[in-house]
Amino acid sequence: MIESLVPSGSTFAGDIDGLFVLICVIVGVFFFATLGMFLWMLVRFRARDGVPAQYITGNEPHLKTWITTPHAIIILCDVLLIVGALRVWYNVKQHMPEDVEVIGVVGQQWAWTFVHAGPDGKIDTSDDIAVIDEMHVQVDKEYVFRLESVDVLHSFSVPTWRLKQDAVPGRVILGWFEATLTGEFGIQCAEMCGIGHGIMGARLFVETAEEHAAWMAQAGGTSS
Amino acid sequence: MDVHRWMVLAGLFLSLTGCGAAAGQGEGRAEVLFADNCGPCHGVGGEGNPSIAAPAIAGLPEWYVLAQLTKFRDGIRGAHADDTEGLRMRPMARTLLPEDVAPISAYVAALTPVAPDHVVSGDADAGKALYATCAACHGVDGKGNQALNAPPIATMDDWYLRSQLGKFRSGVRGANPKDVTGLQMRPMAMTLKDDKAVSDVVAHIATLSGGH
Repeated sequence: MIESLVPSGSTFAGDIDGLFVLICVIVGVFFFATLGMFLWMLVRFRARDGVPAQYITGNEPHLKTWITTPHAIIILCDVLLIVGALRVWYNVKQHMPEDVEVIGVVGQQWAWTFVHAGPDGKIDTSDDIAVIDEMHVQVDKEYVFRLESVDVLHSFSVPTWRLKQDAVPGRVILGWFEATLTGEFGIQCAEMCGIGHGIMGARLFVETAEEHAAWMAQAGGTSS
Repeated sequence: MDVHRWMVLAGLFLSLTGCGAAAGQGEGRAEVLFADNCGPCHGVGGEGNPSIAAPAIAGLPEWYVLAQLTKFRDGIRGAHADDTEGLRMRPMARTLLPEDVAPISAYVAALTPVAPDHVVSGDADAGKALYATCAACHGVDGKGNQALNAPPIATMDDWYLRSQLGKFRSGVRGANPKDVTGLQMRPMAMTLKDDKAVSDVVAHIATLSGGH
């Protein structure tokens, strides 16, 4: 459903979408049920001549059940949501793949710098390829990103991957992704960071192994 | 409904319709664009703001502002990972429509110049000898020479000059193959052997406008 609006381009995008839909359905059902009940009661118990209003304490069992039963259902739904959210949270934020290529992502007012590993497959070496506002990755390959900010709060947001992570000055934050869809997509800052926040965008290029090797050769090295 | 409520409603309407500060066409467009895009950092009068490393730009030659805005827009300047200030300027320049660059440049040039900041400590006498290299293009008086694409430097903030000389020396600025004038400036900056030499020559430049 969400894929029809924004392509689903990472291994965990489907999980995020599923959680989003689950929340919408559960909250939506209660929203419309409550609103419907409210509107029905407005009409059903409207003021009528000769009918006095009743004061109801709600202590009687047949009345309390209208509170306790929805309450129990909501708690059950909460548990369902928490279990679903924890599962996705662990996969996206806690689990970290090991021995994979690292990409440095640096946010600053108002640009993104992406430090790609050069032919040696490692960053912080002399063959790094630092590119402004362009991120190049290989499809179907796991990466860890190392997110930093040099000035204020930013948020590294890649809607196609359903990835969003705040960048906090003074902190190095790790995350991961595996792209599943080739093409050119948008990257944006999702944290208000000053007058240029709205134009702090970048482009994401998800390439096949051959395309990525060609880009790396053109940008400064040969693919590892 | 009282006057206050009407004002709130009018404000909401304007904010929702985006009518508050839209830049229209005509003579006032450059002024509005400057206020919206340049003023927040460089100041409403182009006087600069050293606390965020935004230099004074009021009264800079139109041709120089036009050239620099074009470089920022084309990714020739402000596109190095270590150019913190340039990376801030680049997207702002890119928000301008191509046809707005020239009017904005003219507007900046028409602003009343302000006295440059003099905050850099250096040996102006030692810098005078070093300045001989600069004088060839920027002039003995530091007033620049458009024929050589050399902007006036005597009226620039000294902290900005020091910062830019550092960038030229390290290759953060002037290393892009498409930056023809930057490529000319970079080897000149590299004749300054260290940070002290940079501060000295900047201290001398400050004397050209009455500083130090």
